[in-house]
Amino acid sequence: MATVTFKGAQRWYAGADSPAVVGLDLEIGDGEFMVLVGPSGCGKSTTLRMLAGLEPVDAGSVFIGDRDVSLVPPKDRDIAMVFQNYALYPHMTVEDNMGFALRMAGMKRPERRRRVAEAARMLGLTDYLDRKPRALSGGQRQRVAMGRAIVRDPAVFCMDEPLSNLDAKMRVQTRADIAALQAELGTTTVYVTHDQVEAMTMGHRVAVMNEGALQQVDVPLGLYDRPANLFVAGFIGSPRMNLLPATVRDGRATLGGVEVPVPAAADGGGRAAVVLGVRPESFRLVPGDDAAALSLEVALVEELGADSFVHGHVRIGDERQLLIVRSGDRGSVRPGEVVRVRPDPARTHVFDAQTGARLD
Amino acid sequence: MTAVQQPAVAVSRPGPVSGSRSRLPGRRIAYAYILPFFLVFAAFSIYPWLATAWESLHDTRLSTYDQSNWIGLENYRNLLTNHFFWNAFRNTITIGIISTVPQLCMALGIAHLLNYRLRGRTFFRVALLMPYATSLAAATVIFAELFDPKLGLVNWSLHTLHVPAVDWQGSTWPSQIAVSTVVTWRWTGYNALIYLAGMQAISGDLYEAAAMDGASRWSQFRHVTLPGLRPTILFTIVVSTIGAAQLFGEPLLYHNGLPDGGTQNQYQTLGLLMYQQGWTNDRLGLASATAWTMFLIIVLAVGVNLLLARRRELRDHGRRRHASTVAGVPEVTTR
Ligand SMILES: Nc1ncnc2c1ncn2[C@@H]1O[C@H](COP(=O)(O)OP(=O)(O)OP(=O)(O)O)[C@@H](O)[C@H]1O
Ligand SMILES: [Mg+2]
Repeated sequence: MATVTFKGAQRWYAGADSPAVVGLDLEIGDGEFMVLVGPSGCGKSTTLRMLAGLEPVDAGSVFIGDRDVSLVPPKDRDIAMVFQNYALYPHMTVEDNMGFALRMAGMKRPERRRRVAEAARMLGLTDYLDRKPRALSGGQRQRVAMGRAIVRDPAVFCMDEPLSNLDAKMRVQTRADIAALQAELGTTTVYVTHDQVEAMTMGHRVAVMNEGALQQVDVPLGLYDRPANLFVAGFIGSPRMNLLPATVRDGRATLGGVEVPVPAAADGGGRAAVVLGVRPESFRLVPGDDAAALSLEVALVEELGADSFVHGHVRIGDERQLLIVRSGDRGSVRPGEVVRVRPDPARTHVFDAQTGARLD
Repeated sequence: MTAVQQPAVAVSRPGPVSGSRSRLPGRRIAYAYILPFFLVFAAFSIYPWLATAWESLHDTRLSTYDQSNWIGLENYRNLLTNHFFWNAFRNTITIGIISTVPQLCMALGIAHLLNYRLRGRTFFRVALLMPYATSLAAATVIFAELFDPKLGLVNWSLHTLHVPAVDWQGSTWPSQIAVSTVVTWRWTGYNALIYLAGMQAISGDLYEAAAMDGASRWSQFRHVTLPGLRPTILFTIVVSTIGAAQLFGEPLLYHNGLPDGGTQNQYQTLGLLMYQQGWTNDRLGLASATAWTMFLIIVLAVGVNLLLARRRELRDHGRRRHASTVAGVPEVTTR
């Protein structure tokens, strides 16, 4: 068991215009399940590979426990990694794949078999121990890759998009399995994904990255309820948060004729331009005669069974803005209609239009 | 048009008739394309092959080619009771082994080194191909100079190290080693490039996974590179075996350009013997019998190679099946 600490860790690939990861500071607690999430190319894998020792740390350092491992080779870091395409040894049986690290560590065969058998039982792989990887389904391969990591009982698990090669249904199942397994083992885990649903459902805490820089670290609902900036606000949540330009004066933001009270911080500094963030479920459909509401021209209604999402346009100033609103009852809104919607002031986020930072 | 309609026809009317007829013109064109190859193959492979077989069953001589008489397997009987044949046979095997085995091992090592990120890799790749691109005659003549017992660089170096001089021409083993050195020098780089190509097809993830699993570079080579390279290695072994069985130019040019392979035939290979029988001794029938025997030896050697590879694969399967049947009983597996 161990904590993991990044202190100003930086990686600049040879020939690149800018660092892939910029001075990352991140502390991961002992036994914590930390998810790194962000769009493609934001430096998640690079961060993980710096921790694993597969990429050098160009500046700053990486600690596992109290030990600075920045210059320690991968095999001496006591880390196990699950690769995106699993990287199973194709000519070895499942048993040999899972036991390879133990064999390299010089463990005797009986003890090795016992450890592998135990891990195989946890993962439901007992019947496949003598098969080769090519004779396994994608889900089984994924579990072998997990098994290879857990037999070693390492200080830290690194997982780089381990579910991305599975179909949607398997992914949901495996997501739960991995979370349960991690809870059972209590091993510190760093998990990389670009899928925010995975991040929200699996992580004890989630670190959001963009363009090589850490944006925010918080528990999943913390990210959802109090996004630190426009990037996080737009990235976390599906359908995404509506981000609308507005002006502030005297503690009130004006949004296309609708006034919303905003926190004092938003008004300080004589700001005029802000961005209001309102999640689809933070709008309420109101009767047509409500003056403090926006007119939404409905373009499309997505019926998902439990919810329906109304897509349409509102006019704010001179501009038509796309807006997505959740509607409680199905069938009540039709495309082509105009409905009145009102943001819930208590659940409206205010961001600085210039810096993108949250204001409150 | 036909391409679009064809599936519909095939579905509605089962049976191959309509489908194959509509595909026929295309097939003819395909045959036309490969025809030149078969013409050349027939003229330069099949015909000589059959002609050699015919000649090996006659007392063919170049001087009296039209009056050859059928003598059945007499040439073969003659060959197999012939001291020169068995000498050449033995030489071919020993030279084959001392040239092929170090050659392939060194090629593997070089490829492994080149496979790591290395400065000047392109330079090394070109350098590896240079010996292969060098003329066989030039290379052999230069090596012959180096190994010259009296004036050669090799004996001179040995002398400075206070090692007694070696008779690189007269003694059996030294002369065979010298000939093998030429072969090794010419072919190591070529095989290294083939291995390098095979290594680059192995996913880099596997090396990263192995590094995280605590495997040293040597363990990575043993447990990732070698198994991934097994088909490539088999291929090079087969090709080298064929090359070794036909070895001709190097021993011919090593000393004096005569096909006797040294004063006591100490490095005469089957290829040289065949040449000597046919052209020096004017016994084409016997030479043809030697040629056919060499062919059978190669087929046999390659067959054994492939069989061993197959056996190994089957054994792996068998071991696994065995392991699974006794899964409940620990430690029955042998090793
Ligand atoms: N070996 C490399 N050499 C040069 N640049 C690289 C290398 N690997 C990654 N990069 C660059 O570094 C940046 C971060 O890459 P990284 O693989 O960490 O992204 P990621 O967040 O894992 O993305 P994805 O979700 O697509 O896997 C990208 O801009 C990428 O182009
Ligand atoms: Mg990645």
